[in-house]
Amino acid sequence: MSQRRGIHVDQSELLCKKGCGFYGNGAWQGLCSKCWREENQREKQRQIQEDQALAERLQREEEEAYASRHQRAQSQPAVTPFNKFEERKTKEKSSRVNTVTKFFTPSTKTPPKKDAGPFDTQSTPSPSSSAGRQSSLDRDRATQEFIDFLKAVKSGREIFKQCRAFTESMAYKRDMGADELSECVQDFYQNLSDRLHNQFKGSSELVERVMDEVEKYMMTRLYTEVFCPETTDDEKKDLAIQKRIRDLHWVTIEMLCVPVDEEIPEVSDSVVKAITDIIEMDSKQVPKDKLGCITRCSKHIFNGIRVSKKEAASADDFLPTLIYIVLKANPPRLQSNIQYITRFCNPSRLMTGEDGYYFTNLCCAVAFIEKLDGQSLNMSSEEFELYMSGQASPNGPQPAASSSSSGSAALSQAHNSLDVLTGLDERQERVIEKARQLESDLIDWTDEVEQKVQSALESFPLETQQSTTSAASETASAALSAIDSENVENELLPPPLQPQVFAG
Amino acid sequence: MATAGAAGSRTYSFKVVLLGEGCVGKTSLVLRYCENKFNDKHITTLQASFLTKKLNITGKRVNLAIWDTAGQERFHALGPIYYRDSNGAILVYDITDEDSFQKVKNWVKELRKMLGNEICLCIVGNKIDLDKDRNVSVEEAESYSESVGAKHYHTSAKLNKGIEELFLDLCKRMMETAQAEERAKGNGASQSASSRRGVQIVDDEPQATPAGGCCSSG
Ligand SMILES: Nc1nc2c(ncn2[C@@H]2O[C@H](COP(=O)(O)OP(=O)(O)O)[C@@H](O)[C@H]2O)c(=O)[nH]1
Ligand SMILES: [Mg+2]
Ligand SMILES: [Zn+2]
Repeated sequence: MSQRRGIHVDQSELLCKKGCGFYGNGAWQGLCSKCWREENQREKQRQIQEDQALAERLQREEEEAYASRHQRAQSQPAVTPFNKFEERKTKEKSSRVNTVTKFFTPSTKTPPKKDAGPFDTQSTPSPSSSAGRQSSLDRDRATQEFIDFLKAVKSGREIFKQCRAFTESMAYKRDMGADELSECVQDFYQNLSDRLHNQFKGSSELVERVMDEVEKYMMTRLYTEVFCPETTDDEKKDLAIQKRIRDLHWVTIEMLCVPVDEEIPEVSDSVVKAITDIIEMDSKQVPKDKLGCITRCSKHIFNGIRVSKKEAASADDFLPTLIYIVLKANPPRLQSNIQYITRFCNPSRLMTGEDGYYFTNLCCAVAFIEKLDGQSLNMSSEEFELYMSGQASPNGPQPAASSSSSGSAALSQAHNSLDVLTGLDERQERVIEKARQLESDLIDWTDEVEQKVQSALESFPLETQQSTTSAASETASAALSAIDSENVENELLPPPLQPQVFAG
Repeated sequence: MATAGAAGSRTYSFKVVLLGEGCVGKTSLVLRYCENKFNDKHITTLQASFLTKKLNITGKRVNLAIWDTAGQERFHALGPIYYRDSNGAILVYDITDEDSFQKVKNWVKELRKMLGNEICLCIVGNKIDLDKDRNVSVEEAESYSESVGAKHYHTSAKLNKGIEELFLDLCKRMMETAQAEERAKGNGASQSASSRRGVQIVDDEPQATPAGGCCSSG
């Protein structure tokens, strides 16, 4: 377990995955902020376009399906509108439309579990990275699954239309604050579930299942937009809690009164699994899936407690253990994840469900870690400060002086060098942070200049811009730039010799 | 959060928090109620911190979620995170422990301040099987409860006394509150954002003047 706390950083892991030489960041999929921003911008742009195209096609198909159903209504009343799409599919040559029509084919023909299945036909090569394509695939799959699910639901088509329209409308609200976005989504959930109850007369269980699927569909599409948005200080809070947890590395299981005995193999196994699950939360997109990670983490904790104490875990046991797990795991983007779940999860799950209970405990654990002081660990504030500043460190369960004197000397030396290393690590951390700040300032500055140039260009259009209309002026501009490039080269040469007149 | 439909066919979902000092018997009460167990060393339950119970009260379905809270003093400040959005709170003290009753009084003040009158409060004197060691008088506890708009119950998790009544009564009260809320907001209208989130901050304590004698030590 202890190696988790150690400092193992491979220099190459720190650098931006694009190889631009800047430092990358796990929160930005290993890219530096500049590359990430570019990637993300392109991704957003593409998503808007895709959504737009999808919306248009679905609209068209829906109308056609509706018309065809009316035509067939007399002769073949049993035919579902979906079959019509299957027919049309063979006629349509555009593969993009194929993808969309396949969304509506009965699942017996397109097994939704086969990843490659309905998406192979996508002929347009994705211009962005595989990560971008992956999230686009995720979104397509979410749509496919949502439609498959709704086929069996009364008014499924109606529900899909509403969700799609709402999700698209969110794309135009990107400048809204996070709380307003959350209000919008929560209002939508509320209205939809009210309608499912009152208008469609769904049972509570059915409504709950539909709402789960609605959340999955919508949040998969909106994830990149609304997770840790730039309008909030979520990212700042992430860094703060991450640093706080790192500073608390010296806190032991005894100080927190955690009732688990890691000497027992099954218990230490549960602890490792709990840590893995809580770290995994960050990799999920749908709030319900993130909650699932917290719940799995909690169940492992319960198991650890039950095996250690030989009784069922109560809240008195659970909370301190969860705090301990969070301290050990230092989960990535902890605050962003908590905020995202709070803002966009189905409220019923959060407020009364079992998942909600574990989530609330996680919120408690974070609040406790933020406010933690000497008193909450049963020590004097002086002692607490010594540990926090790294001037002292608890020696763990066995005091160093217990063995021979030479052994204890070696141990204390090891402690000293560890402290030095920690200090170095912290300094490096600060340097990197400053560098990042500088970097993002530079990016902002470039953006600003770019914007200014753009607006200048717009208000004073260049003649060469209009030249694209005629081939003649195009060659002229090419020639012009050729001359320019010659000039550039000339600058590298020594100045031409000037004829000099000598009197005499 | 209570979700009750206009048609009356919907299931009520209630969240109830258990509050009180450590060792007063919170966990014992809920384990007795949900699994009819007391000090059972043969563990078949994985955990006793979140338990649910399905009830049918006068033809209406109720899903009760009971949230145990960490009772240690160092976690006291986390209370508001736990009881946010709850429909009911069960405040437990040990009748042999005067101090645990004082803690209940603190919780009442805090809950009323944070959640107003929307939350149904139950004050529970547990361990009545130990009546010979009683340190909190019945009269004091009951009159205090009345003065703060809470209902008082006497229970023993050990002997399984008074527990069914406690939870059944609480559910009925929460249903009344939910129905009143529904009527107030009108049929079919969707809840406002603030009531959906369920948190209401009240500046002044809407507290009745305590009846004589109940505040002798506080
Ligand atoms: N005599 C008696 N003991 C009880 C009763 N309820 C709980 N206890 C005991 O009080 C102790 C603390 O109970 P527990 O449920 O863990 O309290 P919690 O810390 O409030 O959850 C345990 O030893 C229980 O056996 C009761 O009604 N009568
Ligand atoms: Mg307990
Ligand atoms: Zn880069």
